[in-house]
Amino acid sequence: MIEDDEGHARLIEKNIRRAGIMNDLRHFLDGSSALEYLFEGDENGRLRGPALVLLDLNLPDMSGTEILAKIKAEPDLKRTPVVVLTTTDDKTEIQRCYDLGCNVYITKPVDYEAFSRAILQLGLFLSVIQVPDNGSHV
Amino acid sequence: MNTRSLLNRLAVAAVAVGFVALLAAAIAAIYVAKRNAEYTYWVRHTYEVELRISELRILAEQVETARRGYMLKHDHAFYERAVSTNAALFPKLEQIAALTDDNPAEQARVEQLRTLISRQTELTNRSLETTRAGGVVVSIRMFRTDGSIETLTEIRRIARDMAEAERRLLEERNTLQSRTVQALVGVLVAAGVILIVTAAFSVVVIVRYTRDLSRSRDQLRRLNENLEDIVRERTADLARANDEIQRFAYIVSHDLRSPLVNIMGFTSELEAALPPLRDMIAAGEAASPPVATPAAHAAVEADLPEAIAFIRKSTQKMDRLINAILRLSREGRRILTPERLAMGAIVAGVADTLKHRADEIGAEITVEGELPSIVSDRLAMEQVFSNLIENALKYLKPGRPGRIVVRGHAEPGRLVYEIEDNGRGVDPKDHQRIFELFRRSGPQDQPGEGIGLAHVRALIYRLGGVIACDSALDRGAIFRLFLPPTLAGDQGSSL
Repeated sequence: MIEDDEGHARLIEKNIRRAGIMNDLRHFLDGSSALEYLFEGDENGRLRGPALVLLDLNLPDMSGTEILAKIKAEPDLKRTPVVVLTTTDDKTEIQRCYDLGCNVYITKPVDYEAFSRAILQLGLFLSVIQVPDNGSHV
Repeated sequence: MNTRSLLNRLAVAAVAVGFVALLAAAIAAIYVAKRNAEYTYWVRHTYEVELRISELRILAEQVETARRGYMLKHDHAFYERAVSTNAALFPKLEQIAALTDDNPAEQARVEQLRTLISRQTELTNRSLETTRAGGVVVSIRMFRTDGSIETLTEIRRIARDMAEAERRLLEERNTLQSRTVQALVGVLVAAGVILIVTAAFSVVVIVRYTRDLSRSRDQLRRLNENLEDIVRERTADLARANDEIQRFAYIVSHDLRSPLVNIMGFTSELEAALPPLRDMIAAGEAASPPVATPAAHAAVEADLPEAIAFIRKSTQKMDRLINAILRLSREGRRILTPERLAMGAIVAGVADTLKHRADEIGAEITVEGELPSIVSDRLAMEQVFSNLIENALKYLKPGRPGRIVVRGHAEPGRLVYEIEDNGRGVDPKDHQRIFELFRRSGPQDQPGEGIGLAHVRALIYRLGGVIACDSALDRGAIFRLFLPPTLAGDQGSSL
């Protein structure tokens, strides 16, 4: 999860857990540390392909679309589903994310009920989709 | 500036002087030409007089010759000649008298000549008759003594005098004439000099003037170019400032939204935490002795839910405001597509969508006359009219059947649309304020955030127009839109 707002991150995590998803969750507050983790590789030299990336677009050090583009340009990572979770409901921004290969785009509603419902649905969605096996911990 | 006007005045003066000189020269030339004609006449006159005088002399000589010839040869041909020639003498003298009747001196001489010639004629006749009668010797003796030789000499002398006098007169006239010609030459030379000076001066002035003119034209062109640059620069500045504001609104609304998500989220978390607490307090109260204090009960049952409700209400309002800003900023970025719009149909469409509301409150929306069509953005125009008519419906005067009238007309260079209502009106001091974001006027008894009119004004500005409110409290309101007939192509400010 790449999210600069700790409150958002906490709320997302809570709701994901409530949806019954108990996978490991790593939280990065900025884009560069997240990219470093993603492209670092493990002891075998293979990249750590997470099962899923939750991405916020407004990050302090870089734009979320940049991270999205980098993930989708890397052969080892490009199959990893990316869920963009952000406050922007700008149509062109959404379009751009889908163009770059984003799998799901969710706008964070201010209305918490809607928000938790969205996360819950995401959790349900995640529990049924087939995530490609990258041979890493999920 | 002063020297230039002085120069101009000098140039005009110089041209005037030039013309005066030309006129003087012309007058002088005419005068001299006239004098010349007169002179020529007098010259001819003199020559004629001279000619006549010499003719007279010749005649006199011929008479004398014929007379002598007759006396000596006694040939009748001489007699005939003498008589006929003698008869021609007086007419000739009369000719001369007529020619010189303006000259008293000559007239006097003519008189003398007349006397002498008549005497001579008499003497000649006598000698001729005497000779004819056969007294040749007598007549020759008479000829020697009767003084006819002296008379003839006198005639010759006077004739010479007359000729001389005429010649002197001619000479005098000659001198006068040459003096006139000299004067003319003087006048012509002076006029020529003045003309040349004037021409030179005028050329100098014209050259300077032309140079000034071209210099100021260059300056004007340079200024013009500068002006265009300045306008371009200002326009770019304005566009940049506008972009900046749009971006600012966008970022503000986004970054304000983030904390709002947290506030709402954790408020909900708090709310979700309430039921277990409430259960615990209830259990505590039910236990004996009760372990829960009344303060704990009040906190869980009243204070916490109240606080949460206020937080939620405020955040919801804030969310609406932020959304409004976001919408305005988006509206500013939308690309306008001008097309010809039949405003009558558009207003009718807007009125249709609001018909339900209008019927509910017993209001009537009418379009008065033909609305002028406009080339503009359809969506923007629809939003403007929809907002304004909706506002009119919203702020009707209770107890007065609402009447909303839309009308429009064309003025030179712009179109004017009016939306008039008979509602509660707007206090004149608020006429500007109502167009500001989140600002409202009058009793706050209607839902709304104070966004509608701000939105309308932003749209009208983008369409290149202005909006004005004409209203007084309880007197209804007229919102006037002034729009260009054709919207210039707009690329929308990029973000």
